[in-house]
Amino acid sequence: MLEASDRIVLADGVVLRDGRLVDGVACTSWPVNATGAFVLARQGRVLGDIAENVAAAYALPVERARGDVLAFAWQLNRLALANVDRRAGRIRHAATWLRLAVRLAPAGAVPPLTVRRRPLDTSTVPRAAVGVGRALASRCATLALTAAALVAHVGLVAGRPSLLAPGAVGLAVGAGIAAHEAGHAAALRGVPSALVMRGSRVSVVHAPAGAARRALVAVAGPAVVAAVGAGLLAASVALGAPTLAAAGGPAALHALGLTVLASDGRTACGLSS
Amino acid sequence: MRAVVVRAFALGAVAAGLLGYALAAAVAVIAQSGGRTVDVHVGPLVLVAVARAGATTATTFGSGLLAVALLGGVVNALVAAFLARRLRRLRRMP
Repeated sequence: MLEASDRIVLADGVVLRDGRLVDGVACTSWPVNATGAFVLARQGRVLGDIAENVAAAYALPVERARGDVLAFAWQLNRLALANVDRRAGRIRHAATWLRLAVRLAPAGAVPPLTVRRRPLDTSTVPRAAVGVGRALASRCATLALTAAALVAHVGLVAGRPSLLAPGAVGLAVGAGIAAHEAGHAAALRGVPSALVMRGSRVSVVHAPAGAARRALVAVAGPAVVAAVGAGLLAASVALGAPTLAAAGGPAALHALGLTVLASDGRTACGLSS
Repeated sequence: MRAVVVRAFALGAVAAGLLGYALAAAVAVIAQSGGRTVDVHVGPLVLVAVARAGATTATTFGSGLLAVALLGGVVNALVAAFLARRLRRLRRMP
């Protein structure tokens, strides 16, 4: 959902060269026509202003130019080639999105969310892990707090109020997601990569790699977290510590990512289209 | 196709084994903390057993977990074979 007051900026590693939009990370390119190049030459400016420039340059009605510019910007963002810069009105935009979501709910549809792409330094494993941690910090914290609140609520309803179990579950959920993506990034050491956040979905875009490396990258994310979860559960049984089990359970669930039910599992088996 | 199925079986077995172990461990910890004994089995295959003898608690993870892992591997391999066939058909389409 884009508005005329939004701006778009090409993502790191994406450049306009010889009439093509080249993604240096994914090693792909897309043809861009003259109008597209005209819009991209003005990236960083408010989309409404760019639409007025397009209308003046191509003798088009402003409304049509605005529709075309917004559609083009939306397509670029959907392909994770450009990020949306929304400097003001985030709360208003969130409210608009919620209103639309409520209206679409009877149809079982959800309004699309903007895509955010961030560069990922994979030169060393620690840098890759830290990069993922920084990029996902707020998202992981939100999920951790939500999970902890849910578990605390269940504990209260069950008449067993506790802070340890909700804390352990929240930590496992938040840290698990970050460690999952860090596992992928660590396996991509030396391969140009970027982190793409599409609503609640997080993925790593990277340069083409061999089949074996691709499988390793896919397995590394869920395997790392599931192994830690299994270790925590083993420790909880050995020590008789239920808190460790509360942390190990959500982490062990990442093992589902190894099956063909998940995109990681399908990629590891060579089933990605 | 064979490589896809073999890989899917291995990954499915690991995933099912880990999830089965996680579930069994959770049951064992709950039993331990409640001071109860538990014996979860499917036919002759024991999944997890928690026994108490005085102040001592003995927790056993049985061969049932191996069966769960194998079953998970087989199911994952079957679904992978189905997906691979469908993907191949899609790739053949003009």
